[in-house]
Amino acid sequence: MKGRRMPVSSVTHPNVTPLIDIVMCLIIFYMLVAKIGIKTGADAKIDLPVSMQGIQLKDLGNTVTLNVSAAGELPLITTLNPASGENEEMKVLDGTKRPLKAFLQLLRGQNDNFKVIIRGDQNLDYRYLEPVLIVCAEARVKDVNFATRQPH
Amino acid sequence: MKLKAGSKGHYDAGPNMTPLVDIVMVILIFLMLTGTFAVGEHFLTSNLPLSRKGGGGEASPNVPLDEPLEIRVDSTSAEEWIAQAGGRQVRNGALLKAILTQMREALNANKTPTDKIQVVINPGRNTKYKHLVEVYEAALDAKYTKVAFSTAH
Repeated sequence: MKGRRMPVSSVTHPNVTPLIDIVMCLIIFYMLVAKIGIKTGADAKIDLPVSMQGIQLKDLGNTVTLNVSAAGELPLITTLNPASGENEEMKVLDGTKRPLKAFLQLLRGQNDNFKVIIRGDQNLDYRYLEPVLIVCAEARVKDVNFATRQPH
Repeated sequence: MKLKAGSKGHYDAGPNMTPLVDIVMVILIFLMLTGTFAVGEHFLTSNLPLSRKGGGGEASPNVPLDEPLEIRVDSTSAEEWIAQAGGRQVRNGALLKAILTQMREALNANKTPTDKIQVVINPGRNTKYKHLVEVYEAALDAKYTKVAFSTAH
């Protein structure tokens, strides 16, 4: 019986299989590692102090980030407003009102795992951090975390 | 006219991968551009010390307060600081760590466990944040577990 010969495939284009393998690995890596669509409100322009020690926070769902900078005699705080999804300025004291305290109390609610992340410039004076810490204490926030940068 | 033999023609044996490569490349570029990474950032966790009065909230009278250990810190210039702990003044983290370790060991020997010692860093108003972090690290290096900042100004 005469067998039918299969046509020989003569491939003229480059073999893209290794390229696809590598690209797929990269995509999986980025999907696992990159934080896409997560806005913490962290101000990337702040020059954080360096520390060797420190922990990674696993649960960012219960945290609020406060960017603290100097503005006159009082600190200027920017934080992510969950309603608008944008960073907004928030004062410690506004006339007789205390917006930051009310904001933290609202977010904390009955959540005992609520955390605050404080981000401040490494050359910021403590007099600007202290009012924020006092407000955290008044809002009964038990867990305050200071963001620092790992040394290169 | 004689036709060419089949072996010399071009046959695509597999599926066309070009659209797949195009889409995958677009996804890759999107992820590379939009993804943000935790680039070398970590956190120093602080508790707010309970006190009979003051910023940290009022402790229950039934709960014994932790043994306080105060470290006074001031910035003497943009790059230098001075700390005072246990009646001694130091100007660098390594020495401060040694003093704090001695103090912890003395308290441990006096039957005060480390988790019952509340280190309170008491900075001056103009103390730089980076100097506070150095002192904070010295306390952590000395194996203290409760470190907080004073809010008593």
